[in-house]
Amino acid sequence: MNSKLIKELPELVRNDIISDEVSKNIQKYYEGKAVASPNKLFIIFGVLGAALIGIGILLILAHNWDDFSRSIKTIIAFVPLVIGQLCVGYALLKKKGKAWKEASGTFLFFGIGISMALVSQIYNIPGDFGTYLLTWVVLSLPLIYVLKSNSLALLHVVFLTYYSCEYGYGLGSYNPSPWLYFPLLLAVLPFYFNLLKQDATKNMVAILHWILPLSSVIVMGAFIKTEWEFLPLIYIILFGLIYNIGCSAILKQERLRRNGYLVLGSLGTVILLLIMSFKDLWKELSFEFLMDTQEFYVVAALFVMAISVMLFSDNRSKEEQSNLFKYVFIAFSILYFVGITSPGVATIGVNILVFALGIIAIKKGTDNQHFGVLNYGLLIITTLIICRFFDTDLSFVIRGLLFVIIGVGFFLANYIMLKQKNRKEIMK
Amino acid sequence: MKNIKTIYIFGIFIALALVQLFVPAQMIWGREKVINEGVSYKFKARPVDPSDPFRGKYITLNYELNSAETEDTLWTRNEDVYVELNKDSLGFATVSKVSRSKFEVSDDFVKAKVRWYNSNEHKVNFNLEFDRYYMEESKAYDAELVYTESLRDSLPENDTYAIVFIKDGEAVLADVMINEMSIKDYVEKE
Repeated sequence: MNSKLIKELPELVRNDIISDEVSKNIQKYYEGKAVASPNKLFIIFGVLGAALIGIGILLILAHNWDDFSRSIKTIIAFVPLVIGQLCVGYALLKKKGKAWKEASGTFLFFGIGISMALVSQIYNIPGDFGTYLLTWVVLSLPLIYVLKSNSLALLHVVFLTYYSCEYGYGLGSYNPSPWLYFPLLLAVLPFYFNLLKQDATKNMVAILHWILPLSSVIVMGAFIKTEWEFLPLIYIILFGLIYNIGCSAILKQERLRRNGYLVLGSLGTVILLLIMSFKDLWKELSFEFLMDTQEFYVVAALFVMAISVMLFSDNRSKEEQSNLFKYVFIAFSILYFVGITSPGVATIGVNILVFALGIIAIKKGTDNQHFGVLNYGLLIITTLIICRFFDTDLSFVIRGLLFVIIGVGFFLANYIMLKQKNRKEIMK
Repeated sequence: MKNIKTIYIFGIFIALALVQLFVPAQMIWGREKVINEGVSYKFKARPVDPSDPFRGKYITLNYELNSAETEDTLWTRNEDVYVELNKDSLGFATVSKVSRSKFEVSDDFVKAKVRWYNSNEHKVNFNLEFDRYYMEESKAYDAELVYTESLRDSLPENDTYAIVFIKDGEAVLADVMINEMSIKDYVEKE
């Protein structure tokens, strides 16, 4: 793409589209970028290499070699750790580049895990897998800041999520909640914000935009222990929170595929609402609303957070103000309490909500000429109709007709928008 | 100015590196102390074979010693229980008494987790925590098989036991024996 642009520069200058100076500036800009990019590749391969070697050593040692004596095993336990530390120390002292720091940091990360795994094996330490992961995550956390390392921040979030699942999800109701998830996640946020401030266009920032909300979605269920009726409410508010974060001033400018908050929040909300649109589900939820439970406090805390984020998100344009996706968690929370006494009303309410979301997505898609959003809206409505086939008694003829109508709708909506787009381009 | 910053960051890193070294070292040191200074007990056990994603295969030991009589009736699941131990004439561990707090007088006690309280028999059932014995990948499953076979061969029942060193409530599982032979060697022989 860039080389194509550079090739066309002389022609642009010849036709007086741009000045000679601008052409030179563009050339210089891309030359500077070209120098930087091989380094980027080097970083990626360095990190991948270090991670693979680290995991490889970890797995080889998990074989539990009987042939080595206890003392030799103890020495081996420290070798990868010390090598990692020496590499990181060298990179810091000699002020090595990003590639060195990322790769050595990644190797040291696994070195820490290796040494503790081996000591556990040697002395048959019974500690469960969750505790092992927690120690690992805590011991490597400061490295993120010492090395300013992106890969370590990513590893931190991934392993923290892994730990929280190991610790919090399990058989039986006596499994504790992984409360340490929150401070350990907060600990990586200053790094994340700094990265955002420095250069929000970096790929790493986009990866974190996806990984962070995904992690919270995965872990949140571990805080529901006994009051399972709260599950839909907790998740809808969480998705509302995530969606509203995606609507904040900084993230709003991002492209859709880089804005994991917006995509995950929207998809999660719609899927959960579709599940809750079944009447039987509401009937079976035995509501005995308990205020003094952990789950209720989680709901309350999430709700306060979601509302505050919503108020601070970008509400300037009229389109944003009428964006139902932002408020749907409030509407659902009200319906949820209504559902305690009258499940029928709640079911109808949820169906209307899903339908409205579909219409809004279609409108947004046509207004912004975005085919993805348009078809997303159509898909929401289609799925809603399919869902209703299961709990309403419609004849096959009507079902068939409905499908034909939806099919025609899909075709027409896309066709009309394509035409409009083409017309606009011609007019331009 | 930049140099000072580098030195500053490097200093933090050295401190961090020391902590990273200290944690496994402290794990080793604590266990070595128990092995060298602690008292060894035998616990009759039954092995089964699970595995851990990063630390490899191990056998989980189900101990025969898993309950004790107690006057206390308020035991709840997963609560800590301290078990004071005695030795019989063959060196096997027996329960002397249980308590909610550490024993001040005796060194020979271990921490366990309460499973349930049996109010009819006035017994508290518990899990001893040192139930994990890491083995070479190929041997863990064989170890379980060898054990079931040894039962079938009508060898004196419960010939399998764990050797555990105990000091101040800390326990280190040192070896698992079948027919007076380390399970590692026994599996190889079989």
